[in-house]
Amino acid sequence: MAKRNVAIIGCGQTKHSSRRRDVNLAELVSEAVYNALEDAQTHLGEVDAFIVGNMQGFGGVAQPEQWLGDWIGAPGKPVLRIATGGTTGGSVGQAAYYAVASGLYDVVVAVAWEKHSDSKEPGATMGLTHVGFANFCHAFGHGLSLRNLLATSAVGAAAGVAVYQARFYMHRSGCRIEHFDMVAAKSRRNAAKNKYAHLQWPNCTPEDIAKTELIAYPFRYGHICPASDGASAIVVAREEIALKKAKQPAWFKGVAAYTDEENQLQSESFGGVGVLDPSEQMGCRVSAMRVYEMAGIKDPKQEIDVAEIYQPFPSQELIFAERLGLFDDGTAWQALERGETDIDGRIPLDPSGGVNATNAIGSSALQRILEAALQVMGKAEEHQVPKKVRNALAHGWGGVTNFVTVTLLGDTPAQRR
Amino acid sequence: MGYLKDERPETMCVQGQWNIGAYKYKASTLMEEYVQGLRERKLVASLCFGCGKVILPPRNLCGRCHRRMDGRRVVSDRGTITCFIVSPPVQKGKLRVLGTDPVETGVLKEGEILVPVFVRFDGSDSNVNTLLIGADPDSVHIGMRVKAVWAKETRGALSDLEGVEPIEK
Repeated sequence: MAKRNVAIIGCGQTKHSSRRRDVNLAELVSEAVYNALEDAQTHLGEVDAFIVGNMQGFGGVAQPEQWLGDWIGAPGKPVLRIATGGTTGGSVGQAAYYAVASGLYDVVVAVAWEKHSDSKEPGATMGLTHVGFANFCHAFGHGLSLRNLLATSAVGAAAGVAVYQARFYMHRSGCRIEHFDMVAAKSRRNAAKNKYAHLQWPNCTPEDIAKTELIAYPFRYGHICPASDGASAIVVAREEIALKKAKQPAWFKGVAAYTDEENQLQSESFGGVGVLDPSEQMGCRVSAMRVYEMAGIKDPKQEIDVAEIYQPFPSQELIFAERLGLFDDGTAWQALERGETDIDGRIPLDPSGGVNATNAIGSSALQRILEAALQVMGKAEEHQVPKKVRNALAHGWGGVTNFVTVTLLGDTPAQRR
Repeated sequence: MGYLKDERPETMCVQGQWNIGAYKYKASTLMEEYVQGLRERKLVASLCFGCGKVILPPRNLCGRCHRRMDGRRVVSDRGTITCFIVSPPVQKGKLRVLGTDPVETGVLKEGEILVPVFVRFDGSDSNVNTLLIGADPDSVHIGMRVKAVWAKETRGALSDLEGVEPIEK
């Protein structure tokens, strides 16, 4: 790790829901920022810089930072906006770490958000169209069949490539659709304990989820994440300030973000992809290995106390838990059956409900870091895991399914001076 | 901090239209090469001289070894299903893409069951995402052998490859 120790000293979120029509984008973002500053016992004058981000073009605003900068007190200070698709929040959080660890700044606010309801179409259709618009038009110019495109891409609706990924995982692990019901039910139950979460369903059972309509086998409606309006913010500070301001700071112990080849939009001349199994996720495996090396973690299965995994679809909680080294290959669903991933289990996964219950896309990966920080700081209230948290892992997934961020937070810095 | 919500309780719908016209875009000539192959009912793939991978449809750059994929190989139009999903019967009003309902526009048929698949054509190292045609959805399995379904009259377009169908035993 770098020369300076860095910690999260404050966290702030907004309530998440389908339509936060009571606020505009700038109000929404400032709500999270001021909540975080209050939690960090820090005033605006002490903040050196802002790292901000959401999905590009979502909510119909292309450069939101130019608008909301005034609302978060940024004028006169550096503002850096980052957009890396679904991993945006993870990149924003890691950039705040770099900014402080490098010695450039002492206190940095990182904030990420999404406001889906400002777009006309549900979800993120318009924003996502922009991602590969020219490439698609090029293919249409060469006779791409709309029927085939719709059947292969849109039948899974928002599920997109994830439904294929789930099928690959089922085939090689022996996991069944019932296990996706179990993960989704757990997400909704956990979310019911988290006052900021979107899809809250106390006492939700796998049977409740199994009753929901099938979208495309193996995914049901009950498996799918919502499109949420909401924002998350963290205050990141150097060691001396962190020790003064926070009773238990959440120390950055390792950060990594490795990518793999683009494997969804066929960006390269609409050509094929060398990734034969989309559940392979090499980028996640490599990122996790790097993070454990930085943090001196020898056995993640024993040393990681809780993980916040980016899992818009329940299959991804299982896939990524294995790729993060928390379970052996193809066994996470067995641990799920034994209750090991429950909030009071051996290794709780997404005690906040995760992305499966709350998905303000640009913010989702920062929310994972924020939720991991809450667990380390002991501030997760009703969804606090009932054990001492020394190491909490936060994961982000996005890009065209090829970007991954992994961040490890702990109760002590990676290096003591 | 004062919020506007005190004076304006809800977001408003702001009417507006925007024709983005045309983007400028630069693609290689690979697409032309590929569709010319389709006209002759041939699947033209690119070969990486770095790692030996054969990728279909062809691409210019190898994703993992970062070398130009200058080689070409014609791969078999027979292959194996590596992944499949099964849709429930298509219904009007269920799906909306870019403002239109594909059942209303006739792109998808009411009641049809779609089976999108990943196919690895023999001799290639990649999956092609396409439709399985003419198969009982209950009989589909990973490892199932399939062959390309070509348009009756090929015209040098991506739609010349309509999908795949089971190879009868």
